[in-house]
Amino acid sequence: MKAIRSLFDTFRKHFEEDGRLKKLRPLFDATESFFFIPGDVPRVSPHVRDSIDLKRFMSVVIIAILPTLLWGIYNTGYHSLLASGRDTTLVNALTRGMYVVIPIVFVSYAVGFFWEVVFATIRKHPISEGFLVTGLLFPLTLPPTVPLWQVAMGVSFGVVIGKEIFGGTGRNFLNPALTGRAFLFFAYPARMSGDAVWIASGATAAPTVDAVSGATPLACTTATNPAQTIETALTEAGYTFARLFEGQYPGSIGGTSTLLCLIGAIVLIVTGVASYRIIAGGVIGVLVTGFLLNMVSTGSSSAWFSLNPFYHLVMGGFAFGITYMATDPVSAPGTTHSKWIYGFFIGALTVLIRVVNPAYPEGIMMAILFMNLFAPLLDTIEIRLRLSKRIPNV
Amino acid sequence: MALSLNHMIPVSVKNGYDINCEGKPLSEVLALVPPTHVALLPERIPYIKPRLLVKTGGRVKTGTPLVEDKRNPDIQFMSPGSGIIESIDFGPRRVIKKIVVKCDNEESRERFDSHSEQDIQNIPAKRLVRAIMKGGLWALMRQLPFRDIADPEHVPPAIFVRLENSEPFHPEPDMYLDGRADLFQYGMNVLHRLADRVFVYAGSHSHADSKTFQENVTHCVKGKYPADDPGVFLYHIKKGSDENQSWYINGQDVLLVAALLKNGTYPVERMVTVAGSMASRGLHLKTRMGVPVSHLVPGSSETDKSRYIAGGLLHGYAVDPDSYLGFYETSITVIPKGNEKEFFGFARPGINKPSYSKTFLSVFNNRPLIMDSNMHGEERACINCGTCTTVCPVEILPQFTIKAILADELEDALAHGVLDCVECGLCSYVCPSKIEICDILKTFRQNYYKETCESHTIII
Ligand code: SF4
Ligand code: SF4
Repeated sequence: MKAIRSLFDTFRKHFEEDGRLKKLRPLFDATESFFFIPGDVPRVSPHVRDSIDLKRFMSVVIIAILPTLLWGIYNTGYHSLLASGRDTTLVNALTRGMYVVIPIVFVSYAVGFFWEVVFATIRKHPISEGFLVTGLLFPLTLPPTVPLWQVAMGVSFGVVIGKEIFGGTGRNFLNPALTGRAFLFFAYPARMSGDAVWIASGATAAPTVDAVSGATPLACTTATNPAQTIETALTEAGYTFARLFEGQYPGSIGGTSTLLCLIGAIVLIVTGVASYRIIAGGVIGVLVTGFLLNMVSTGSSSAWFSLNPFYHLVMGGFAFGITYMATDPVSAPGTTHSKWIYGFFIGALTVLIRVVNPAYPEGIMMAILFMNLFAPLLDTIEIRLRLSKRIPNV
Repeated sequence: MALSLNHMIPVSVKNGYDINCEGKPLSEVLALVPPTHVALLPERIPYIKPRLLVKTGGRVKTGTPLVEDKRNPDIQFMSPGSGIIESIDFGPRRVIKKIVVKCDNEESRERFDSHSEQDIQNIPAKRLVRAIMKGGLWALMRQLPFRDIADPEHVPPAIFVRLENSEPFHPEPDMYLDGRADLFQYGMNVLHRLADRVFVYAGSHSHADSKTFQENVTHCVKGKYPADDPGVFLYHIKKGSDENQSWYINGQDVLLVAALLKNGTYPVERMVTVAGSMASRGLHLKTRMGVPVSHLVPGSSETDKSRYIAGGLLHGYAVDPDSYLGFYETSITVIPKGNEKEFFGFARPGINKPSYSKTFLSVFNNRPLIMDSNMHGEERACINCGTCTTVCPVEILPQFTIKAILADELEDALAHGVLDCVECGLCSYVCPSKIEICDILKTFRQNYYKETCESHTIII
């Protein structure tokens, strides 16, 4: 620790006002403050401050995401091995998975971080810890087959267009990770829409799509023959409710296991880092909409109408999205009732998009981005209502 | 809890937070020997425009006016001791920082009119106000929402007497009222002459069971810090905006006003708490106004390792150990300065890290924790987490209010209730982005006051 301390002390002069590297000051500060909480004392009262800071806050989010990352690694490896007919023991699957997933995560972090540093340097603002989360969430929403250059494109779009052009963390109104994800979805639909096979190939480092079995559950629902219910179609394809919940099926890297998202949600809610209102609102939104659709479904409507609403909770990326994306405080509303409404509509829209337009099976992504746009409006309305109840003090 | 008389109106305050800081003072009183020097700190009296009435080397008695407020020269501030003016310190732009009196041992006092119980009931209220002003204690009466000195020309909608302060660490009413029930009653009689409605409220922390206490207390406030702040109290009891300009006075200051009117001399007795994990002793001290900080906290040599806070952990300001206690302050808290860098601070389990959040293992630790004066992180943009809103006792939405202020939207900011803000500091305390929310609101309020209201308040 002493050694690291003196390392920083030696190099600091290069980054100060008259140093050669003064432009890279934000980078130096970010690195130093990663190792050391600064010794600053408050300028103004109060003269004591809470121990929490943004690093701690974001670390909790990272901890909550980790289970899905580990699962993603295992699951990716497992299906990749399975597809090429090899031995799927735990160690093999993990090794294989890391081989596929680590480069994707790495590229996401490296490219995203590059943009962060560029903007921090130009704008002379500190590098925000928010990126630690974005940089990890983004790859987890991708299929393991994604080429690395697309990862780089997506994260660049997410960080630059989704966040930095609005002024950086705190001023963006769209969730940057989802913005990047949506960009890839629309720019390269064939690879992203989930119709194709999402199993990382065993053969090359730059994964290509293998022509083997195993469509994602959502893809197999779009291919459902009209006489069949979706539940049977899924079960026939081997995707029972329990399997969907537990998450051992091909899909996006981190989004398959509802169980682990639930654990993550519990961590986030118990630590108070994420709003339980949004998550609960989302679940209610899904169930209510699902039941309503069940009620209006007739023989001639699509099989989606009569799907048991609980399947919506475990299928596709809903659990991942509502837990980690919808609860991003920056792009969610900040007032209490609005959070319920926001969550509810995310859930409802997810179901509607899936049902009405099965061509976009990943309804959650569009639902969250859409509600991101409405978050400021929800806040404004709630604040107006609240303020009208105040006894004025002017 | 002995406060159970049913005539008390309960007031419950939903938001707030009790900081559990190590170093609570004992409920024991120690009488200090008289200090060699005392001082008045005009700089620490909000809003006044002081005019000096004395010169270095001049001889003063206890109660001799040292400065007057140019805005209303009848509001004066007196010498807290008798002796010779040793020095007058100025800060930048000729701000009068402190006027130091080297005490002689005579304790000669200025004479003012003394009043019997009978006088209090009979003389016109205006004359009582005059007498308090003449005796230099009018400034103890403060007017909401700006907390300037009360406007003596004004009849307040109500006067609130604040008995206790749940902020760490202030004197407990049981301590300062002990044996002074009659004087307190006298003071209450004075207040009842000044306003039709006088509310005395006690917090749920209180266990005073003296008769005076119970007879006078009208409201019982339940809630966490700062439920017992007069602004919070007002916010929860007010029915209309005509009550906004209520006055308030601290329980201990009622005793001072009473002593002045009763004895006709300038009273200087103060009960002060010294507390905090770096204080050599955490106690209630019986001492006097304007004492040197070093007199209260002896042996304070490790000054670069400690931070001295006058006036409570959250509201208070940092002082040098060679400074003095201000006119309003009754508390000195000494905590570690915490100006060291902490290795991998954000990744530690934090069983001993105090936090409002539940992101440290300290959620499982109910013991009082050592708090230092480190920022514990760097300033970042607001992430809209809403933590500040959950603690705000007057139900402001600080994260949106500061946005209105920073965007210069004055009307919006006022509609948000900025003027209800009691500057409790909780929002700044809890903010993970380390935004100086409380300071932004405070600066806004002060500027707003200076620009709009000041001209028609206390100028006579
Ligand atoms: S805005 Fe902040 S300082 Fe003001 S009352 Fe609310 S919490 Fe306290
Ligand atoms: S606590 Fe700080 S970061 Fe959170 S909403 Fe309030 S101002 Fe923003």
